[in-house]
Amino acid sequence: MKSAGSLESSDCLITVSYNKDKNNTVNIESIVFDQFGEQIFEVINKSLQELNIKNVNVLCQDKGALDYTIKARLATALKRLEGENNE
Amino acid sequence: MSRSYLFIPGNNPNMLQNLDVFNADAVIIDFEDSVISYDKDCARDLVENFLKKYNFENLEIYIRINDFESNDFLKDVQSTLDLNINGYVLPKAMPESIDDLNKLIGTKGKTIIPIIESPLALLFVREIASKDNLHGILLGAEDFTKELNVPRTLEASEIFYARSIISIACNAFNIDSIDTPFTNTDDISNLRVDSLKAKQLGFTSKSSIHPNHVETINQVFAPSKSEIENALRIVTKAKTELKGAFSLDGKMVDLPIIKKAEKTIETAKKYNLL
Repeated sequence: MKSAGSLESSDCLITVSYNKDKNNTVNIESIVFDQFGEQIFEVINKSLQELNIKNVNVLCQDKGALDYTIKARLATALKRLEGENNE
Repeated sequence: MSRSYLFIPGNNPNMLQNLDVFNADAVIIDFEDSVISYDKDCARDLVENFLKKYNFENLEIYIRINDFESNDFLKDVQSTLDLNINGYVLPKAMPESIDDLNKLIGTKGKTIIPIIESPLALLFVREIASKDNLHGILLGAEDFTKELNVPRTLEASEIFYARSIISIACNAFNIDSIDTPFTNTDDISNLRVDSLKAKQLGFTSKSSIHPNHVETINQVFAPSKSEIENALRIVTKAKTELKGAFSLDGKMVDLPIIKKAEKTIETAKKYNLL
């Protein structure tokens, strides 16, 4: 399990782990879930597709992050997870 | 030439996405001191995604990378070479590290602002200022005085020589001379005094670690109303004079003074003061 980001305003904390069932799961906790939950979900799923990743659990704890921040934090968390796997 | 260079922490989305609202002429996105070692990768990914998504016209953007001897130096440069930035701020700069950064930059069109922050680097300032591809030189007084083992003071006498020689070297090679940040974020009155001291020694600009400082720095490093008026009178009279040198208000005006007046007018126009 690896994380990236923070719980500060305009940021998000993304935590990723491998999914043994070989599919992706995405959970979102957001202060703006009602307004932007679907958009956050889309950003994460699109990023996973672009990276061709099909076996991770993603938890996004959002504090009002914009799309670029979510994408960046996800990318870092995944690289850290991959690094952990290679250690 | 820019008046103000504002440092923005590279791993802080809240500051990053507001970097164009602080009215700084240039921003320095920081990968070094404001980012803890564990989060250097976070900052690189965040800045890459941010600068690919947003474009800032009329704002110079530099990235302060980690120093040449750190494990992050190469990663910092490689991850940002294709981004829309003006260049790099290089900490703990020495002539060799500037050469190495220039090799990495290649033909990517990025400039370098070395930070002079050690007595040894100051001894090499002339060689540093003469390097290719420099936009300016920044004085890092906190580390510099730490190495000298002297306290920083409001009078700033401990950095008088460093300021003087950096300003002269930059002027000689026609690059920006960027003064050290004033570290007391709330003391705007002494920020003004400190900025005026640097300007009096020939500095073109000042860096800042707090957005509250930008307005004062912009005011101090722009030409004053009387400087602009005087420059306009010199340039106007120069156009009607047939001689190379003439007298104005009892003072001799020759070509260097006319050139300086033209530069003042050009700067005033750049900052909408004319």
